[in-house]
Amino acid sequence: MAFVAAAAGWLLRLRAAGAEGHWRRFHGVGLARGFLHPSATVEDAAQRRQVAHFTFQPDPEPREYGQTQKMNLFQSITSALDNSLAKDPTAVIFGEDVAFGGVFRCTVGLRDKYGKDRVFNTPLCEQGIVGFGIGIAVTGATAIAEIQFADYIFPAFDQIVNEAAKYRYRSGDLFNCGSLTIRSPWGCVGHGALYHSQSPEAFFAHCPGIKVVIPRSPFQAKGLLLSCIEDKNPCIFFEPKILYRAAAEQVPIEPYNIPLSQAEVIQEGSDVTLVAWGTQVHVIREVASMAKEKLGVSCEVIDLRTIIPWDVDTVCKNADPFSLGLYPTGKMKEETNNLY
Amino acid sequence: MTLSRRAATEAWRLLGHLKETLGHPRRASWAVRSRRCRQCLCFMRKMLAAVSRVLSGASQKPASRVLVASRNFANDATFEIKKCDLHRLEEGPPVTTVLTREDGLKYYRMMQTVRRMELKADQLYKQKIIRGFCHLCDGQEACCVGLEAGINPTDHLITAYRAHGFTFTRGLSVREILAELTGRKGGCAKGKGGSMHMYAKNFYGGNGIVGAQVPLGAGIALACKYNGKDEVCLTLYGDGAANQGQIFEAYNMAALWKLPCIFICENNRYGMGTSVERAAASTDYYKRGDFIPGLRVDGMDILCVREATKFAAAYCRSGKGPILMELQTYRYHGHSMSDPGVSYRTREEIQEVRSKSDPIMLLKDRMVNSNLASVEELKEIDVEVRKEIEDAAQFATADPEPPLEELGYHIYSSDPPFEVRGANQWIKFKSVS
Repeated sequence: MAFVAAAAGWLLRLRAAGAEGHWRRFHGVGLARGFLHPSATVEDAAQRRQVAHFTFQPDPEPREYGQTQKMNLFQSITSALDNSLAKDPTAVIFGEDVAFGGVFRCTVGLRDKYGKDRVFNTPLCEQGIVGFGIGIAVTGATAIAEIQFADYIFPAFDQIVNEAAKYRYRSGDLFNCGSLTIRSPWGCVGHGALYHSQSPEAFFAHCPGIKVVIPRSPFQAKGLLLSCIEDKNPCIFFEPKILYRAAAEQVPIEPYNIPLSQAEVIQEGSDVTLVAWGTQVHVIREVASMAKEKLGVSCEVIDLRTIIPWDVDTVCKNADPFSLGLYPTGKMKEETNNLY
Repeated sequence: MTLSRRAATEAWRLLGHLKETLGHPRRASWAVRSRRCRQCLCFMRKMLAAVSRVLSGASQKPASRVLVASRNFANDATFEIKKCDLHRLEEGPPVTTVLTREDGLKYYRMMQTVRRMELKADQLYKQKIIRGFCHLCDGQEACCVGLEAGINPTDHLITAYRAHGFTFTRGLSVREILAELTGRKGGCAKGKGGSMHMYAKNFYGGNGIVGAQVPLGAGIALACKYNGKDEVCLTLYGDGAANQGQIFEAYNMAALWKLPCIFICENNRYGMGTSVERAAASTDYYKRGDFIPGLRVDGMDILCVREATKFAAAYCRSGKGPILMELQTYRYHGHSMSDPGVSYRTREEIQEVRSKSDPIMLLKDRMVNSNLASVEELKEIDVEVRKEIEDAAQFATADPEPPLEELGYHIYSSDPPFEVRGANQWIKFKSVS
């Protein structure tokens, strides 16, 4: 009895300290450890939070696309794929473990709904998956390939850069693999280390012939993915894996498109332009509000959305040669420097 | 007299009788003739033993040691092992092997250490002391210990991410392995590698990308041949990786240049969650090398693995070129700690393998049945191993993490230290090497 009361008291204290995410995942044995050293675990949690912290900021509910439903990122991807497979009878989804739903549940229910010849597993071979997808796309069918983690895309780098990107050009527009879309979980997640955290968009950013798209939220993801699938160029769609469950907002059930190569100005400002994409957009938003509050600086926040071909006009509209442009990665700065 | 008073008097009389008898050496044996006395005596003995156990704390060694020393064990025993399926080979490894008592105890201890170490890693992961990814190899102990038994310490080994067992058999201590898992300074990669990136002398890891280690293994084999020191390279990969293109590129290069490379496919029937039938057009992984001879080995029997490895190593050392071994084994845990391991296979299947083909159980039965060791002796080893793992876990939990300044170390090799840019141009790391 006393033990139960003590345990309950400890749990309440931990919750009050704001370390909810931390205690929720304790298993039986861990509970004992936390029970013996509650203060240590609270401090640990707080320290770790500071290192990898961002708050997802949902956009307001979109009114123009019909009825909406609360979805997180992986559910919005499933919805987009569902709409694609329904609309396009030639569309197929393939990759490692997609049949049962995928390691991030992005393809749950699609195999049951559309059949095993439209949603199927491939063996463990990234180069083979992308090459195979290029082949399907060249015949005119819509190929949606999944690379299980963006870190594994490198065996397929040759196929993407040397085959997919150059197909239309080298055949004089006789052939193309425009109906190929490659989807891949992207970005850091906290515990991924070397091979489950990479953001390889920069490697593809200098390859003409392909499009690279990174959404920041479920609503953006569905619209951008549908645009990628319908776009007549091979596209790589990176999905921030840390947002799969963390990001939830109202997303329309019906299909809709968000145009590619168009950046979105999330917040108007006059002093500094901040450009970001993916998860970083939420960090930058927080930075903008902190800059406003503490330094009195008015920041313009732009979500780039499409990395290549990128929306030069929107980004440079407010920037002149003498103003600062702050970017989360330094690579784009070289691009803009070349314009002047 | 009432019942209770009668019972109480009886009990008091019995206790007094017993007190007298137990104290008297001659009368003690006489007392057991009486059934009530015998029962009470038995109970008293148990209570006394339990009390003394509690009071003495650590396990009772002296009594069993005396027992062991007094028994006579066989020095060695001959066992029959399963015949290997062969591909492009006239004859395979022998079907009988001799196991000495010393070797048997050594293998048992090593396998038990690997097993307990993996289970401790499981426990630490669930307590969130180990973070990130953790791929456990319990069930596959016969593979790592058997392979090590068939080669020399100067031979080379490279494998994929299910590497904790190999890290131990290649010479690192459990302390260093567990400290690396918890990401502390005392770890073998100084806390920067983690579960998938453990290295030791002549052990090249520990590789995260599936299949990427196989061409590396072929390269190490080339170095062996070039150096002319009669060494071989064991290049391991799994049944999932067997479908990667670069493996076939490595096969071709190794066969073309007759490299002393033993390709080993650890077939544990599931590539993450996909069973071999659903992933491979041909599940005869030992034949996949086509022009490379192959053998299929029972990977749950350590003696079978040892003999096959000796055979394969001899083949390579004679200059005939590469050879392929498929080890048919099983893992009890899921693919990694985030996989429960029961959504693509039944619990009954796991239980069946555990009860019929557990490598440690098989070795134990063999040794006990041929009088190479006693059950008590093996239990003693279990206790020692448990203690070793506990100490290592204690160290791994208490050791400090590497300091933050070392974050950028070893990115480049350069003297003076090289400055590497961080996530933006205002963050700089020093790459010291």
